[in-house]
Amino acid sequence: MSRWERWAWGLATVPAVGVLVAAFGLPLLQSVGASFVREGRFTWENYAIVYRLYRQDVLYTLGVAAGGVALTFGCGIPLAGYLRLRAWPWVEFLLKVPLFVPFVVTGHAMRVFLQPSGTLAAMLTAAGILPPGARLGIGEGWLGLVLALTWKHLALVVLLLVGAFRGVDDSYLEAAQGFGAGTFRQIWAVLVPMSATSVALALVLTLTSMLASFSIPLLMSRGSGPQMLMIDLYYRFGQHGDFEVASALGVVSYVMASGAVYAYLRSVTR
Amino acid sequence: MTRSLLGLAFRATVGTLVLVAILGPLTSLLIWSLAERWHWPAPFPQQLGLKYWLRMLQGDPLRALTRGVGIASVTTVLALLMSVPVSYLAARRRLPAGPLVLALFVLPQAFPQLPVFASATVLFYRWNLAGTIPGVVLIHLVGGLVYAVWTLTAAFRAVGPELEEAAVNLGASATRTFFRIALPLALPGVAASAILVFLHSLDEFNGTLLVGAPYVTTLPVYMYTASLGYELQIASVTALILMAPGVVLLLLLERFLRAEYLAFFGHL
Repeated sequence: MSRWERWAWGLATVPAVGVLVAAFGLPLLQSVGASFVREGRFTWENYAIVYRLYRQDVLYTLGVAAGGVALTFGCGIPLAGYLRLRAWPWVEFLLKVPLFVPFVVTGHAMRVFLQPSGTLAAMLTAAGILPPGARLGIGEGWLGLVLALTWKHLALVVLLLVGAFRGVDDSYLEAAQGFGAGTFRQIWAVLVPMSATSVALALVLTLTSMLASFSIPLLMSRGSGPQMLMIDLYYRFGQHGDFEVASALGVVSYVMASGAVYAYLRSVTR
Repeated sequence: MTRSLLGLAFRATVGTLVLVAILGPLTSLLIWSLAERWHWPAPFPQQLGLKYWLRMLQGDPLRALTRGVGIASVTTVLALLMSVPVSYLAARRRLPAGPLVLALFVLPQAFPQLPVFASATVLFYRWNLAGTIPGVVLIHLVGGLVYAVWTLTAAFRAVGPELEEAAVNLGASATRTFFRIALPLALPGVAASAILVFLHSLDEFNGTLLVGAPYVTTLPVYMYTASLGYELQIASVTALILMAPGVVLLLLLERFLRAEYLAFFGHL
């Protein structure tokens, strides 16, 4: 490249970088800064408020995300392993469908599906499993959230894991079969350990995404009881107009996401 | 013999479970969208019809849809124009301050969006961008640029440098080589990238809710308001319209979409 061309190309990257700095970088730094300020002075007060009002919600958020990750991987690893070992095209296709269903839509679909008088209750009643007129309680509590988050994230996890598992050479699986390993033994003893990095990466990404989930809990929300952290942040910011405490809640969520930040940064610098 | 029977029973059970679990929530959207009258506890609606679908063709929902398509089109064009130079330089490892710039293009994926967007709303108020369409486009560009840069970098990398080296050896400038060789060969990747950015913008909710409020309503925000107001039929029709382009894409392009592109859709 000539010197003139190098300048022109360098200049052409400025708009993209500028947009990300203005709409992401600066806001990120501003929220960290604002979390330490109240009435123009440095203070820890915002964090004290977070501890006083929201510590249970932090634990609740961690619990829901942990439950979601456990269910997602509890289903995802066996499914992905089975799909690696045996062709089952229509199931593989179906599992991809939620990839294309946006988070908000998932939230609303799960709301009408799981609510006490929702479609699931109607289906179970029609099938004779529930007595007529019975209400189903799972949609309103943590279980409904765990199910909804799993439904949305399972698709990506299966996609990533099937990809990683397909990268494991057949000869290892044949050797395991030679020693009498069945399907599940081949998944646990060969596929998972040999794709440990991909499994760990998928796990970190899923956990972070669930911790930071907003639209799904917003659409499935109920008035009382513990809330997900992002719901607290939204109301603190939107209804109380309290940007400082909202920012402190944000910084708590950044700390929770640090695993994913590390994983992503490593993928760039590698 | 018993073994194969067991295997068959296993496949039948798991297959049914997957079918019900994946399609159950989506079917409820369809039923709700057609339910003109549905008094609980009847397991199915008493009266089905297209009333609520027809209502989408007028007034607020139609405005939200056309506004959303307009915003998504502008976002897509801007995101592609801005990300092509970054992606090409990244693919050829010529990006100035490479790792630092690329880090900026992955961090929005890693950090929780909501606190950053809330903070962006405060900044946008200062810049008179809050509640405006340019403000919403700007916030959609955050995700859009991230998707575009990563898919385009992969596309330019797949082109391979050999043809370009040949062109340069024959005396073409680097810029001419880019426009005559790299860009045409990477066009399928550019198209995939455009679809991805368009769908991201069309479905974007968190940023639009915060930055667009109270004047800019796109379809996801409209759906949210309808759902919380217990207008479940309207919300369900909107939800189906929102997911339609993605599902059509999956049906048509399943075998052409590479896994690394598909993975991006999981973040929509």
